[in-house]
Amino acid sequence: MSQLVIENVSKGFGTLKVLRDCSLSIAKGSVVTLLGPSGCGKTTLLRSIAGFLIPDAGRILVKGEDISHLPPNRRDVGYVFQNYALFPHLTIRENIGYGLKIRRKPKAFIRQKVEEALGLIAMTPFGDRYPKQLSGGQQQRVAIARSLVLEPEVLLLDEPFNALDAQLRLSMQIELRKLIDRVGITSIFVTHDQQEAMTLSDRIAIMRGGRIEQLGTPLEIYDHPQTPFVADFIGRANLIPVAIRSGRTDSPQPIHSAMPDGPGTLVVRPENLSIAEGPGPGWEGSVGFATALGATIEYEIDCGAGEPLRAVLPRRPGVAPLTPGSRVTARIRDEAAAILLSGSPRP
Amino acid sequence: MMRKIKASSAQAMLPIDRFARWVLIAVTAFSILLLIGPSLIVIAISFEPRAYIAFPPSGFSTRWYQAVFANQQLLDSILVSVRISLAVMAICLLIGVPAAFASIRGTFRGRAALNAFLLSPQMMPGMVIAIASLFFGAYIAFRASDLMLILSLSVFCLPFVVRIVMARLADLDPLLDEASANLGAGKLETFVRVTLPQLAPAICAASAFTFIEAFDNVTVSLFTSDVRARPLPVELYYLVQFDSSPIIAAISSLEIGLSFVVMLIIAKAVGLERLGR
Repeated sequence: MSQLVIENVSKGFGTLKVLRDCSLSIAKGSVVTLLGPSGCGKTTLLRSIAGFLIPDAGRILVKGEDISHLPPNRRDVGYVFQNYALFPHLTIRENIGYGLKIRRKPKAFIRQKVEEALGLIAMTPFGDRYPKQLSGGQQQRVAIARSLVLEPEVLLLDEPFNALDAQLRLSMQIELRKLIDRVGITSIFVTHDQQEAMTLSDRIAIMRGGRIEQLGTPLEIYDHPQTPFVADFIGRANLIPVAIRSGRTDSPQPIHSAMPDGPGTLVVRPENLSIAEGPGPGWEGSVGFATALGATIEYEIDCGAGEPLRAVLPRRPGVAPLTPGSRVTARIRDEAAAILLSGSPRP
Repeated sequence: MMRKIKASSAQAMLPIDRFARWVLIAVTAFSILLLIGPSLIVIAISFEPRAYIAFPPSGFSTRWYQAVFANQQLLDSILVSVRISLAVMAICLLIGVPAAFASIRGTFRGRAALNAFLLSPQMMPGMVIAIASLFFGAYIAFRASDLMLILSLSVFCLPFVVRIVMARLADLDPLLDEASANLGAGKLETFVRVTLPQLAPAICAASAFTFIEAFDNVTVSLFTSDVRARPLPVELYYLVQFDSSPIIAAISSLEIGLSFVVMLIIAKAVGLERLGR
């Protein structure tokens, strides 16, 4: 049975529809990320699950029980705030023990649970400090421990890495995923950072305009985006407008397809393009820009009309990159990895 | 050519800078003198041994302090003032703290108007509040009394509480309330465990200010106090008219001492610089 089920949830503020008919079900112990640009409704959905907002329509079920009508303090759902929202007047131990104290647990029990939680996040020596005396990364761990100590059914995390600097981010992401696996808690992250989503999630829900546009594992979404928006949002992609005629595209390098005739979008990941000097079969153009990134070289190729193509090629030491202006031809390396979607790239 | 200037050494300062510095020091010293000087003179006079006010005092005596504590009428009026000030403090806290909440956290229409209304007594001279209270009291057949004094002083003091508590409340992160709710606390429990502890310094400061303000307010008290149970400021006002002995200076010095102690306590508990905000 699913741990958390979101059924046709909608929410509007005045005339603005922020969530439209969102449905999602999450298995026990799995990690789902709500990923999308700002304003897509992801935080609204998270706040609805926590009970800070009441949806206009739809139901939210935890372990089969409808919690839609419960106030936030009666929901068994942990929430980690973007700014952590630690209580500034309480020590780290008191912060972590807050929820247990509210639940009137015996003192000895609280003490034991708090010490366990401090150990879990490797913060035992900092237990008597105040939040202000900790770094951002440490505060984040405390905020997570404060929720985990109550053993909630679901843990919600609202952009938990936003306040951390880039260097710390990746290591904290890996740490957090390990912690979640150790505790085995069902979790939902909200983020606008696709790399973060790829690192953390079992499944990603891509949101746009208040709807869940696609739900799948990170690699499913990367390899089989269902819309041009998803293709562009997860990883990078060349979105090439094409027309499909009698089973093949009209592009310089035709791709076979069983789709009916009509406009289509060819999605090609930059690493799936190869480049040859001079004219040939494929997309002819000139190198507009070359960026050597160490292990790879990224080319921008102007092919006349439309957006330039991006290609990422492995760099061979000792071989100079192509200079801007060189005439080249780009081809799809592996036609099986090219994705053809119906409809034009930006509807 | 650039000339190197050693900013730290006074010798390298330009004459104009040195002049400006002396002006600044002089102005500051003069201001402090104007603020503290009168109090110091009053304290000096209170130790005058003779029966009339003189500065500098001709000797040193504590006889006027003894006189204060031997004067039953004065002691009674101090008691009246303490009682009234405590009542004013309680009323202002009971109205001011929730009002500050409403005007910071509230999302209702007319919030700005409420805010202006709450702070409006501060724009009005105490005299106006006093006369208005008196006339209004007379209109509803309510004569000058302890209750009348308490109510009019409460109107006068309310803005202090509202302003101090609002300033602190504006600094509090409303997300802490959500965090508390998420961890299982109801609204009342969140208020008691999260909001109140963080407001405590502000409430403490507001109480102290209100108490002092109510304790030594003359203008409002003069009009609205009970004739038979005069508060200290009114008692002193009458005393000065008939008695020119340093007993006035002695009791004033005691009041200065009280304010000083209260300010010290606030400074210890809150930090004076935080009150300025």
